[in-house]
Amino acid sequence: HVVRLIYLSEHDNRTGPSNRSRKGRSNKGRSRERFQRDRQRGGHGGGGSAGIFGGPGPRSRLEDTDGDIPHGKKYDKKWLLTALQNICSVTYTPVQYHVDHSRAHFYLDNATAASALHKCSHKITDTDGYKLESHFIVTDLVSQNVEVILNRKTNMEAVIKIIEENIPELTSLNLSNNRIHKLDDLSELVTKVPNLKSLNLSHNELKLDRDLDKVKGLKLVELWLVRNPLCDLFKDQASYISAMRQRFPRLLKLDGNDLPPPIGFDVETPTAIPPCKGSYFGSDEIKGLILRFLQQYYSIYDSGDRQPLLDAYHDGASLSITTPFSNQNPSRSSLGEYHKDSRNLKRVKDSTVRFRLLKHTRLNVVAFINELPKTQHDIASFTIDVNTYTVIAVNGKSRDSTLAFSRVFITVPAGNSGLCIVNDQLFIRMATTEEIRKAFVAPAPTPSSSPVPTLTAPQQEMLTAFSQKSGMNLEWSQKCLQDNEWDFNKAAQIFTRLQTEGKIPDVAFIK
Amino acid sequence: MAATLDFRTHADQSCRYSEEFVNIYYDCMDKKRRNLTRLYLDKATLVWNGNTVSGLDALGEFFEALPSSEFQVQTLDCQPVHDQATQGQMTLLVVTGGTVKFEGNKQRFYNQNFLLTAQASPNNDQPVWKIASDCFRFQDWNS
Repeated sequence: HVVRLIYLSEHDNRTGPSNRSRKGRSNKGRSRERFQRDRQRGGHGGGGSAGIFGGPGPRSRLEDTDGDIPHGKKYDKKWLLTALQNICSVTYTPVQYHVDHSRAHFYLDNATAASALHKCSHKITDTDGYKLESHFIVTDLVSQNVEVILNRKTNMEAVIKIIEENIPELTSLNLSNNRIHKLDDLSELVTKVPNLKSLNLSHNELKLDRDLDKVKGLKLVELWLVRNPLCDLFKDQASYISAMRQRFPRLLKLDGNDLPPPIGFDVETPTAIPPCKGSYFGSDEIKGLILRFLQQYYSIYDSGDRQPLLDAYHDGASLSITTPFSNQNPSRSSLGEYHKDSRNLKRVKDSTVRFRLLKHTRLNVVAFINELPKTQHDIASFTIDVNTYTVIAVNGKSRDSTLAFSRVFITVPAGNSGLCIVNDQLFIRMATTEEIRKAFVAPAPTPSSSPVPTLTAPQQEMLTAFSQKSGMNLEWSQKCLQDNEWDFNKAAQIFTRLQTEGKIPDVAFIK
Repeated sequence: MAATLDFRTHADQSCRYSEEFVNIYYDCMDKKRRNLTRLYLDKATLVWNGNTVSGLDALGEFFEALPSSEFQVQTLDCQPVHDQATQGQMTLLVVTGGTVKFEGNKQRFYNQNFLLTAQASPNNDQPVWKIASDCFRFQDWNS
């Protein structure tokens, strides 16, 4: 359970923050205060268990001041909420307003109001000249009732997923006070939150500086590790700094202390690669066209008879395949049947053989395809890149003791918004165990060319209803119902689950 | 019969061009990255693991930011692209596969395909091959 909040704290603009005493605070109070001090220095921090700076969140907490400022409790709830509403552009409804250690808290249940309230920063001044300052925190995992400990793998994964999906541009993350004893679950931060510059891991249970290797790829400028057992391992501050600089060469601040700027050499050695993304279609129109085409193509390709693919190829089409060379005895691997036709120019040097392996003209191409082993393709596993409209690169899995493939089609427009293949290059390889595990988890489409068993009237009715409710086309709706013995509720449950998990491919929704 | 012979000649030449191309391309990629964009057409498009990069300036920036690489090309195939897809412009499809190690990253398998188109060159009285389209994927990009 993740609570997102805006943190509004009062800032005494007359006395400055340095006068605040620290005695008698709860742990939570301390971490907040530390957060505030960080803010004053222009650093980053967070409240509660995980404080993440970024965009507005759906909930907001209004905090009054620290405990030692005498005016803490004096604001009347009504006065405060009305004063905020007067300057806030959006009507907001505070939830669970309460005062805790002289802090006023409340939550908001929508992001728009949270965002609007955030803009009220520095706008409220009370009669004594105190200003309210709003701070921006998006996620807080320790709220009044919810205790989430981030040393659990699933919790940390959930946090990283939230960041990845909502604020991948995150620059500052506070994970202090979470009893974290290893960083294995944080290693994903390196690829998923590449802009992270400040990481607070203070007050945790990290025992070895080696643990930091898990997040070594981060381009940290600021790191907090104070109050972790590993800090005591170093004989002096210099070796501590040096050990951290080794992992984070751009580090400028360690545990709040400024470090001398690193002096490097003027050679750029980037190590971050751009984050990998899913299919690239260019436009929705092209996406629809190509998904329809591929679905049609592979439903025929996977059926018993590939002859109808004649319609998909241009008269002068060419096709060739390649397989990676392996030391394995080809006859023992399921790639074996493809090896003999592999036109890998790195291995096949004879020009006559090269020419024989390049299938040319429609009839030869389809005759060759017809002879290839029977397949079942997992369309849900496809990644499709469309470049300059005509080049379609498809990556996916084909069940033939699970092989993986990458295929390039070059097409020209044909007839009524269809496509016609002029070039086809298929690269086929053994799938990895991970790929085999993931393949065919979503319901596979029923090949449209296979004979469809006649449905009874109630089944037909159920099918129509299911298709309407789910938004899937009839083919996929029928498949889902069939797989669940025509139990509407069961099928609906499975559909909902798979959809939530993002396992239903786009083709299922093309009608 | 003449058409078949033409296709044979065309196919043979394509193999030679693509072998030469792959040597030059990955050598540039690994060792002379600055020269790499010279192999691309002004309006070339790259789709790199789903990220799209278009135009020479953007390509230059993209390749400069990419960590240094060590490519091992294990498979290579090519086909002459059918005239109808290219409005008669002589074009080759080159498809490669193998491993790549980007500095600071683990070694991964990749697939890549290029469309090469023959262009008149201002520096050369003979036409040169330029990359019109480039599409790159790690084989295990989402695992």
